[in-house]
Amino acid sequence: MTTTFERLCAILQKDYKLALDQLTADASLETLGIDSLGVAELLFNVEDEFKINLPPEPVQLLTIGDVAQFIDRLTAAQHGRDDVADISSSLTQPHTAFSPTP
Amino acid sequence: MGVVSPLGHSAQSAFEAARAGRSAIRRLDFSSINRLVAPIGAPVENFEGADHFDPPKLRMLDRVSQFALVAAGQALADARPELTSVERSRCGVFVGTGMGGIGSIDDGYHTLYGENSDRIKPFMILMGMHNAPAAWIGIEHRLTGPNLTYSTACSSSAVAIGEAWGRLRRGELDLAIAGGAEAPLSLGSMKAWEALRTVATVDESDPSASCKPFAANRSGMVLGEGAAMLVLESWDRAVARGAEIYGEIIGYGLFTDVGHVIRPSIEGQAAAMQAALQSAGIDAAEVDAINAHGTGTLANDSVETAAIKLVFGSRASGIPISATKALHGHLLGATSALECVLSVEAMRHAVALPTLHLQQLDPQCDLDYVANAAREGAKIRTLLSSSFAFGGTNAVLALRTAP
Repeated sequence: MTTTFERLCAILQKDYKLALDQLTADASLETLGIDSLGVAELLFNVEDEFKINLPPEPVQLLTIGDVAQFIDRLTAAQHGRDDVADISSSLTQPHTAFSPTP
Repeated sequence: MGVVSPLGHSAQSAFEAARAGRSAIRRLDFSSINRLVAPIGAPVENFEGADHFDPPKLRMLDRVSQFALVAAGQALADARPELTSVERSRCGVFVGTGMGGIGSIDDGYHTLYGENSDRIKPFMILMGMHNAPAAWIGIEHRLTGPNLTYSTACSSSAVAIGEAWGRLRRGELDLAIAGGAEAPLSLGSMKAWEALRTVATVDESDPSASCKPFAANRSGMVLGEGAAMLVLESWDRAVARGAEIYGEIIGYGLFTDVGHVIRPSIEGQAAAMQAALQSAGIDAAEVDAINAHGTGTLANDSVETAAIKLVFGSRASGIPISATKALHGHLLGATSALECVLSVEAMRHAVALPTLHLQQLDPQCDLDYVANAAREGAKIRTLLSSSFAFGGTNAVLALRTAP
């Protein structure tokens, strides 16, 4: 079964052209070129892939492992740990984990 | 000088294409292209953002910012101003753009309205905002002086260059990157231009000949994309550091048409040319050539011809007038900067650039437009480059060759 970490790495490989050997749980997102603004976009794509809704509160995610754990927590809270049913119809409210200053 | 344009990816290659009369206008090919009545434009070919930017950064850059960054990088590499020795707060960025990141905005609205989805991407605002190209140039080169974006439609980058020149002349800055960028070849943008009925019909016998400035059978403008940037600094500073000086901006004139939001006026265009002459402190008799606004629209070209006659009187018929939009299309907010670069190169190489596709003469357009082929050996010391905009902001740059 594909793990959360592996699915997250697939996004990072596809969207950010990162090599597999760069993608470790403790790899710093900033070091990989994904700053806090980049994380906001990454999480947007994570919402689609994992069919979860991000909470509106800002959250600090520094490593790939942090993001994977964050996804797991949200998945468990929103679907139960093993439930990845299609809930795309509920993805209508905008959410962000990043609050930029205009 | 830096250029990413339909004519080429450098100032030199764009100039050589213009000199050879190679039109970059062609049939476009993208999804939904069949919804355009006139599916033609002047695209920048063989440009991939991934060749210039790493993936995380590229995801934040609309095509317009990609063009701007690459052109600015070229200009700085060419000018070699040794930024390490310059006070960064005395270096400014001045960029003109008419439509900013319209492609990204178009994509976002497609998601919202076309797909009926609320999943608009997080970067739509920062990719679409008009000042993104200037902002990225400032960030890339750590330039902390004024970072300004001008959006005066078709004269945007003439205004950007002129305003930068004014600040340099007043001693407010040591160096400026000035120019324009535009990327309007998206479906939404092109349909909007079509709706205004200013776009040329396709010349079915030769689509590349669809833009015909000053010709009797002209039918409108053709949209183009790209960016052109110049490194500007004071004459004394450039000389002192031994810079290769390509040309000098000697004047900048503005005059605003207030009679109609898009209809040009003879008096308004003439007044902008007069203002440039006055700014340069020169007489009309000193002008050797004109880079015309020359859009290929019915309204502009006859009005511009009359305005030139008003300014230059009996001399008008003896001045070579080039309308290079037949070659590179109308780059809107970037067009003045590209035409400025082409004009500087034309002066350096003693060439009057051609106005292509001028076979059928219009009795109302009866000046010397350097029809159909470049004129070599043209001694051009002083040139006016005109940009007349929707909204009425008429801007003219007066250029001179470096001695």
